[in-house]
Amino acid sequence: MAQPEQVTSAAQSGPYDWIGSSVPKVDALDKALGITQYVGDMQMPGMLHARIRWSGVPHAVIRGIDTSDAEKVPGVRAVLTAGDIPGVNRYGLAVQDQRVLADDKVRSAADPVALVAAETEQAAEEAINKIKLDLEPLRPVLSIEDALDPTAPAIHEGGNLFARTTVRKGDLDQGVRDSDVIVETTYRTHLMDHMAMETESSLAYMDPTGVLTIITSTQYPYRDRRQIAPALNLSMNKVRVVQAPIGGGFGRKDDITSEIHAGLLALKTHRPVRLIYTRQDSLIANTKRHPMLMKFRTGARSDGRLTFVDADIYGDTGAYLSLGAFVIKKAGIHACGPYDVPNIRVDTHTLYTNNLSSGAMRGFGVLQAAMAHESQMDQLAHRLGISPIDIRLINTLKPGLATGTGQVMDEGCGIEATVLRIKEYMESHDLRFARS
Amino acid sequence: MTKKRGLGVGSMFYGIGYGFNRADIGSAYIEMADDGTTTVYSGACDMGQGIMTVVAQVAAEVVGAHIDTIRVVAADTTSTPDAGPTSGSRATFVQGIAVHEAASDLHDQLMQTAAGMFECEKDELEAHNGDVYLKGANAPIASLAEVAARVHLLGGRCASWGWHDNSTADVDPETSQGDAYASYGWATQLAEVEVDTETGHVKVLKIVSATDAGKAINPVAVEGQIQGGAAMGVGYALYEQHILDQGVPRTDSMAFYLVPTSMDVPEIQCEIVEVFDPKGPFGAKGIAEPATVPTTPAILNAIYDAIGIRITDTPATPERVFQAIQEARARGEFED
Amino acid sequence: MEHYSLKINGNVYETDAEPFESLLDVLREKLRLTGSKKGCDEGECGSCTVLLDGKPVLSCILLVSDVREKEVLTIEGLPQGGEPHPIQVEMTERGGIQCGYCTPGIIMSAYALLQENPRPSEDEIRFAIAGNICRCTGYSKIVEALQAAAGTPIR
Ligand code: FES
Ligand code: FES
Repeated sequence: MAQPEQVTSAAQSGPYDWIGSSVPKVDALDKALGITQYVGDMQMPGMLHARIRWSGVPHAVIRGIDTSDAEKVPGVRAVLTAGDIPGVNRYGLAVQDQRVLADDKVRSAADPVALVAAETEQAAEEAINKIKLDLEPLRPVLSIEDALDPTAPAIHEGGNLFARTTVRKGDLDQGVRDSDVIVETTYRTHLMDHMAMETESSLAYMDPTGVLTIITSTQYPYRDRRQIAPALNLSMNKVRVVQAPIGGGFGRKDDITSEIHAGLLALKTHRPVRLIYTRQDSLIANTKRHPMLMKFRTGARSDGRLTFVDADIYGDTGAYLSLGAFVIKKAGIHACGPYDVPNIRVDTHTLYTNNLSSGAMRGFGVLQAAMAHESQMDQLAHRLGISPIDIRLINTLKPGLATGTGQVMDEGCGIEATVLRIKEYMESHDLRFARS
Repeated sequence: MTKKRGLGVGSMFYGIGYGFNRADIGSAYIEMADDGTTTVYSGACDMGQGIMTVVAQVAAEVVGAHIDTIRVVAADTTSTPDAGPTSGSRATFVQGIAVHEAASDLHDQLMQTAAGMFECEKDELEAHNGDVYLKGANAPIASLAEVAARVHLLGGRCASWGWHDNSTADVDPETSQGDAYASYGWATQLAEVEVDTETGHVKVLKIVSATDAGKAINPVAVEGQIQGGAAMGVGYALYEQHILDQGVPRTDSMAFYLVPTSMDVPEIQCEIVEVFDPKGPFGAKGIAEPATVPTTPAILNAIYDAIGIRITDTPATPERVFQAIQEARARGEFED
Repeated sequence: MEHYSLKINGNVYETDAEPFESLLDVLREKLRLTGSKKGCDEGECGSCTVLLDGKPVLSCILLVSDVREKEVLTIEGLPQGGEPHPIQVEMTERGGIQCGYCTPGIIMSAYALLQENPRPSEDEIRFAIAGNICRCTGYSKIVEALQAAAGTPIR
């Protein structure tokens, strides 16, 4: 049994009984014993196993999908394509640009085109491999540069530039004039996977009162329900979403993953359906960390004070937006880092491509922005002969100073304290930079 | 000497929650049964970071109960209220306050009834670890269970709910000026690396992470987030990469997509900084994302410190680092 | 389908299975011993680790037909007399567990290590769990918990 911080007297001797106390996590012992039931650990009587057939090509018109051989596989109970969706075949977190199952076009290699439910996983696997896709390839848009090319085909109506945001503060020209040193560099980041150890998974069934119940590995059941109900043409009070123990999320399980597909199959087969992504499914269809192209120009005076930040950030959100526009906007808002910068011009560009989609991932655009602004800070430090620690301390936000968006800091502003802690650590452990 | 060592730092700030006029709410129901055990119906999903435990700690603290008597019900559209997603480093910051509110109201109800039982004012009473005391006294006058049973007997509520709105207005569409987020998280990390100049291989020897938790509600859980975040940052900086060939993934197996193992992740020293946030529960801030953001720039800056070459594209794979070294050698700019 | 008598955690389990089914699938789906997890099903993540005659193996790439006559130990078999094993206790109390999906595999790898080498060094611990991917913890608290379980000094 966990012990409170202090047990001697009733009146608190410390400020708190439980706050600040490292009690073991309430769910940890069950996990250690292996008795926690994740979705993949659950079974129900009569349960079917589901698999998804992905498109496998980045951009194509769908001419036909032949499911006849798949339907003949023994044990197969349903093979579904876009025409089987009872509701609106559109969903998405910010805009509804995703299809439950691909209809007109394929926009990425991770587009789901068909679903199978079968008595065994093996039968479901065999069936998805027997689905024949007749696809007419289109020119794919495969990079940020491609997406900016006006002659590139539009992936969605409205073109490949989904959104542009701008940060403006002070007078950029003045900032340039005030600078003794200017560093200019282009940075590029890559596509990263969340790799939660538990893959995307849902178990869907009709409860005895006629409510479609979906037990799922999710970060937000309410928003899932908002997207599931219209796609399945159910009222929201006929859909229940239950969060199962989650084997890692990191942003991936913010999106709809397996919920609508499992629910659709349960609705069609009148049987419980368990849909567990294989690791390969997950690596293909996971909404990843946005690759970004970031062009930064940053200036400072000889005393180390920042004078301006001038940046363009281009984010490849892939074929579907998910939360991409917010991720990339957030990168722009954070492009100047935790510093007092008087003059700012930052533009961000959210671009569609036919690459795999990116969405929320731990860091949410700020990681990419920090990679750029912190590399810039280091370059300035080296050019000016100031230590990397000191250049940060000279510029950190403090109570009363404002962020790049003009937000004035209160006493909760902690950046200086964290830099000082690192400085103390280096001093007490006799750690020194090799080059400054 | 083919191995060169270097140090690098990375700092960051991170807007907690959603901003941009997006709904950013927390909410929870709480109830105490006749035997003094408490159930919190918290709609915030726990992905392992520990929001259920934080919720239990906040509820135990504020109600005055023992933590082992608190049960937290995970998110479910039928039984828990909408608490928003667990993302944006917002769960403790937003849901913590909603639970605080619910628990304070329940505590008040209990103290009100206890005041009636003992003919005193409710402000003269306090509760700790399941017992009710006259303020400052060493011996309890009743258990919370007795008080809860009394509330139920009298047909009282013995339940409450709490709600918290962390939403902020969107920034200006032309200039992005405005209060973008209700609050921010802060962190600085130090990385020490060793670069093999014959292979381009980068080994991270050490990471020190100074993360501002505002108030660490559960220090071991905070350290766990810091260490896990830094490990993910090591993966991003050095190893992990999805490779697409004409838009088709070539890294669709864990055999090809490499995440750090126990042999790849160095010692991660946690330095928890506590700068009280007036808007957070007990002064706490979100730390999940601040834990991972500074690692990549710290490592890239440490590589520069080691070899004098700035890697501008991620990840800093051996091939990429070696190629950069060779190019510097060709220009006569590399000191072997 | 063939019939199998499997010796698991000191008990004998009777089951029918296809010879090509993995031990992991039989444990999880047929015998409902779901503590062993499936993180990849391709021998890369370690979450399915069980002991076979005392040695750690990846049950996802082991065929059920290959374990006849052998002793299998899974996470469910670790507690003794209803008490969690010290590794399970230390993992719980020292923050070695976040999402918990890697946990059973890590605990089984650690158990195998401590059977062979009751007082391992930190490097030996890290090596023993190198095949167990944990995405949440950064391994530090896992290593600490295993040092505590072994009674060796914690850094
Ligand atoms: S499930 Fe066996 S190694 Fe991943
Ligand atoms: S605790 Fe989540 S993978 Fe290890």
